Amino acid sequence: METSIKSKAFEQFSEAAETLANPVLQEWKAKGGRIVGYFCSTVPEEILTAAGVVPFRMRATGSTGTEESDAYYSSINCSFPRHCFNQALTGEFKFLDGIVCVNSCDHVRRIYDNWKRFVPTDFIEVLSLPRKTGPDQVGWYRDELAMFRDKVAKYFGVELTDDAIWKAIKLHNETRRLQRKLYELRKQEKPPITGAETLAVMVAGTAMPKEQYNEMLRELLDELTGSEGPGGHRARLMIVGGILDDPAYIQVIEDQGGLVVADSLCFGSRIMWVDVSEEMADPFQALAQYYVADRPSCPRMYGEHDNRARYVKDMTRDFKVDGVIGERLMFCDMWVVEHYMLDQDMKADGIPFLKLDREYITSGVGQLRTRVQAFLETMGR
Amino acid sequence: MIVGGCDVGSATGKAVVMKDGEVTSYLIVPATTKPEVTARTAMDAAIEGAGLTSIEDLDYIVGTGYGRLRVPFANENVSEITCHARGAQWLTPTVRTVIDIGGQDCKVMAMNENGKVLEFVMNDRCAAGTGRFFEAMARVLGLGLEGLSELSLQGKNPCPITSQCSVFAESEVITLVNDGTELSDIVAGLDASIASRLNSMVRKVGLVEEVALTGGCAKNEGLVKALEKKLGVSIRKLPKDPQIAGAIGAALLAREKLNGRS
Repeated sequence: METSIKSKAFEQFSEAAETLANPVLQEWKAKGGRIVGYFCSTVPEEILTAAGVVPFRMRATGSTGTEESDAYYSSINCSFPRHCFNQALTGEFKFLDGIVCVNSCDHVRRIYDNWKRFVPTDFIEVLSLPRKTGPDQVGWYRDELAMFRDKVAKYFGVELTDDAIWKAIKLHNETRRLQRKLYELRKQEKPPITGAETLAVMVAGTAMPKEQYNEMLRELLDELTGSEGPGGHRARLMIVGGILDDPAYIQVIEDQGGLVVADSLCFGSRIMWVDVSEEMADPFQALAQYYVADRPSCPRMYGEHDNRARYVKDMTRDFKVDGVIGERLMFCDMWVVEHYMLDQDMKADGIPFLKLDREYITSGVGQLRTRVQAFLETMGR
Repeated sequence: MIVGGCDVGSATGKAVVMKDGEVTSYLIVPATTKPEVTARTAMDAAIEGAGLTSIEDLDYIVGTGYGRLRVPFANENVSEITCHARGAQWLTPTVRTVIDIGGQDCKVMAMNENGKVLEFVMNDRCAAGTGRFFEAMARVLGLGLEGLSELSLQGKNPCPITSQCSVFAESEVITLVNDGTELSDIVAGLDASIASRLNSMVRKVGLVEEVALTGGCAKNEGLVKALEKKLGVSIRKLPKDPQIAGAIGAALLAREKLNGRS
């Protein structure tokens, strides 16, 4: 990607975001390390880390088409699972030692069925995530995670004590703390990092061992702290939506002169804005409380719209955002209604809102450009 | 002060020369595969029409349309959404909703009394509600675009055509033709189907009167009538060729940039 950041750490993050099995992962693998792919950010990475397995958030980076997977899906299925499954069929995920699915949405959930039948994989699990965020649901997910721990421990032949889980929780909270520190720099009038660059850093965090990632991120933070970006942007923007792992998409938006300074994305702030509690007696209760109730939610969770809208509004204030862009993958029924309501919520507060539909692999750049340019113009920029 | 607006669209290139706030000349040319050439051809002809000798006579030029990044002589570019709204508002100040139907997209803009866009929606993912749709249907029916417009007005019982997709609508039309349906009813049905599509887009930004149509398809009288029926309001006819509204908007913005406004 085009960048003005001169940093070894950033180069590695950028490369990790642009590839599936990045050099750090390849090195890990060469030393006999194991890697498990997981769909959706509500799968607790901590349990895999505790087992000495690197959790890899699934994406179809580099996919150029869906001709292999189209037979298993229809044209009204979301392009994210279609591209991911295509990559699975063409062998791009051979570096993985297993897969964890979750009923995040129906499109993603069906990857499990297809994967199980058509892609030989020894370790393939599915988690049942509740749709409400109350104490009963937290209790349910707590048990689900404890059972998941047993399966991971058995398959990978490790003992997974509570202490091991707590150790992983602390490590992942450190990742979250460092990532929040990076976002803090974006509050500056001239942020030293763009939205596209930030997304690359965030995506890389889902694709390498956390100890190593944290070390590299500390290095990057040292390099960026106290420095300024070029400034001169037409507006400060925030992006709100579902799966977005392609920095090039944000690059197109930023090429129109707007700088993305904040987000509510599941490859962005939603996975690190709050920590998993380190104060509870039971680590599975702490994880369930975090994944079901405490972290900023996705519209798949019922009855939480007002909290999500408040989250976005708080961020527009704290990051001095001029306009909000809602992006969603075509056919995503979760986000279409969310964006409609968010549009109304934002306008009520005088914050301009633009809705964008997209395909998983960035295409139709001219059309994207026109919308974003017009959006900036309506803001008088 | 002499300014220019150049709108390079998917089907045509439009250029406008404005002197002291009046349109002195304009020209529409078919688009070529080289947007730079389309822009230059339209602009040169508009300059000649204005009685000027060269592009140097223009103080400021704004480019717009899909080819806006490829207008080599433009001082800057502005999106067609902003330009169409501004152009329509200048032509008829009472207009608050603009429906632009271009060669490969359609868009609806809501604006305030100054022609500032408050909200917009855009369809550029498929041919429904665009000039391409009508071109495809005219071809199937062996008509020109003018013929399509005239015939539509004669339709007494518009056929229900459920497909807005140009490929599937074509199959429906062929079925109707082979059933011996009156051509005028088929054409009126096509206009009604596209009017439905545009109606749902208008509902997304909210219908505020007055409503104006811009873009080449605004010249399709049959579509205008069908749209008035769907929207339940009358559509304000612009005092100049609706196809040049975007280029006029670009010229107006050129004037504002020179005046140091906006």
